[in-house]
Amino acid sequence: MAEKEVMNQTPSAQRPTLNVEASAEGATSNVKHRTLNIIWRVVGFIVAGIFLYAGAIKALDPVQFASDIDNYKILPWPISVAMAFYLPWLEILCGIALIIRVLYRGALSILSALIVVFTLATVGAKARGLDITCGCFGHASQNWSFPSHLATNLAILAGLLALWFQSSSKS
Amino acid sequence: MRSSLVRQVLILAALALAPGVGGAVYFRHKISWRSAILPSELATVDQARAWGGNVIWVDARPDDEFASDHVPGAISLNEDRWNELLPEFLAAWSPGKKVVVYCSSLSCNASREVARRLRKEAQLPDVFVLEGGWEAWLKKK
Amino acid sequence: MKTHIIAFALSIIISLSARAELKWEQTSLELHPTPNDKQAIGHFKYQNTGKTPVHFKSVHASCGCTTAQTQKDEVPAGGSGEITATFNIGDRTGTQVKTVTVETDEATNQKTVLTLKTIIPQQLELNPTFVFWKQGDKPDPKTIMVKAGKEFTVKHIKVTSSSPDFQTKVEEKGNGEFQIDVQPQETKNIVASTLTIQPEDSQKVFYATARITNAPTVQ
Repeated sequence: MAEKEVMNQTPSAQRPTLNVEASAEGATSNVKHRTLNIIWRVVGFIVAGIFLYAGAIKALDPVQFASDIDNYKILPWPISVAMAFYLPWLEILCGIALIIRVLYRGALSILSALIVVFTLATVGAKARGLDITCGCFGHASQNWSFPSHLATNLAILAGLLALWFQSSSKS
Repeated sequence: MRSSLVRQVLILAALALAPGVGGAVYFRHKISWRSAILPSELATVDQARAWGGNVIWVDARPDDEFASDHVPGAISLNEDRWNELLPEFLAAWSPGKKVVVYCSSLSCNASREVARRLRKEAQLPDVFVLEGGWEAWLKKK
Repeated sequence: MKTHIIAFALSIIISLSARAELKWEQTSLELHPTPNDKQAIGHFKYQNTGKTPVHFKSVHASCGCTTAQTQKDEVPAGGSGEITATFNIGDRTGTQVKTVTVETDEATNQKTVLTLKTIIPQQLELNPTFVFWKQGDKPDPKTIMVKAGKEFTVKHIKVTSSSPDFQTKVEEKGNGEFQIDVQPQETKNIVASTLTIQPEDSQKVFYATARITNAPTVQ
């Protein structure tokens, strides 16, 4: 109430300028805010798209995926089969979750965990001298070299982490 | 905040089970949970022995390994000389025979490849890979 | 804080790979031999970027069809060379993946797997390669479908039978597809024939088998 009285006593010449400045700043920061939002949405879409694509490729040929998992010689065969049936759908669902912004942070956590585990498995396999001819993109990526695999995984992880921090700063 | 994250993860993990199980059912005949080869395409030494005279043994190993020792009566058929050896194998084959292909052990690929070509190119039925390969045969001798 | 974590992880990974002394130009090679090639050769070049000489303890291939040679057993610091992997194609078809495992006395990374992926061009695909009649069956014609591989244009094929007991007739379906009808004179005797199929203007020959078989044994 007291503030209102002070404002009313301020010479009106000043107020319009203040208001104009305030709304101008508001306008630019609104535009900035919206462009940033759009950029984040695009990043989210790209990352989600990658997992949807990767998940779909593997969901369509789980037999091949099971054999690819088995090549890492980390899991016993029956578990590789179970993972081959389960993981692609987990990727697809989390990708969808990212896009429709439902269970958002849960999806980000799962996808990040998948990428970390997968990257560690790939590094470990390389260190053991195993012949790993596939990555998370099934046989589409089988011609990639180890460094490009690693770089791609790290880039995806960076995207996921960025989306995570962006979503936590929003709330 | 923390608990809602765990809840989200659990929900997603649980939701993915449904299509996962669906895929396992859909593809159940394409994959064996026991071993990396379809059960319908594997035969153990005992099974092969039980088929008696109805079996044709196929040795998928290179020529020198075949020459030094092989299953009695086995026919050599490998990918190095496929075109030359296949007609000789086919001369021994007749409908109703069970073909059992072996190479050195479970881990070598040659028997699987030869079996695959017999099924796909010659379109023979009843072609099996010997579980454990030549090693398994030696153990049972 | 987050950038620090990422930088830390990256530096660990980079330092791990930098410790290996033998640096390979490529550990995975894809070869595309021509249909008349009998071998596919991959050259795996390496360089010793460490300060001590590296010795090869063993070099062996995943199958007997592939041989691998090193030019020398010891690589001095700064020296380079290659491992030559020779894959004998034989009568193999399709995409063949063979590996060569190299063991050295390096401090880290003693085992390296070199992968040789050979895409064998298939000029003609026969389906099936074996047709048979049981003794006593009606000597009706059976069909072998022939299709040219994707990268090949085949206008005509020549089919010969090694035995007059079987007659062959070729029908050109167009688009690189052919139909071979095989018919035996009769199915009384156990006879066989090797069919030789040759694309026009090609040295490469493809085979199919036709035969009369025993009637199935009573089970």
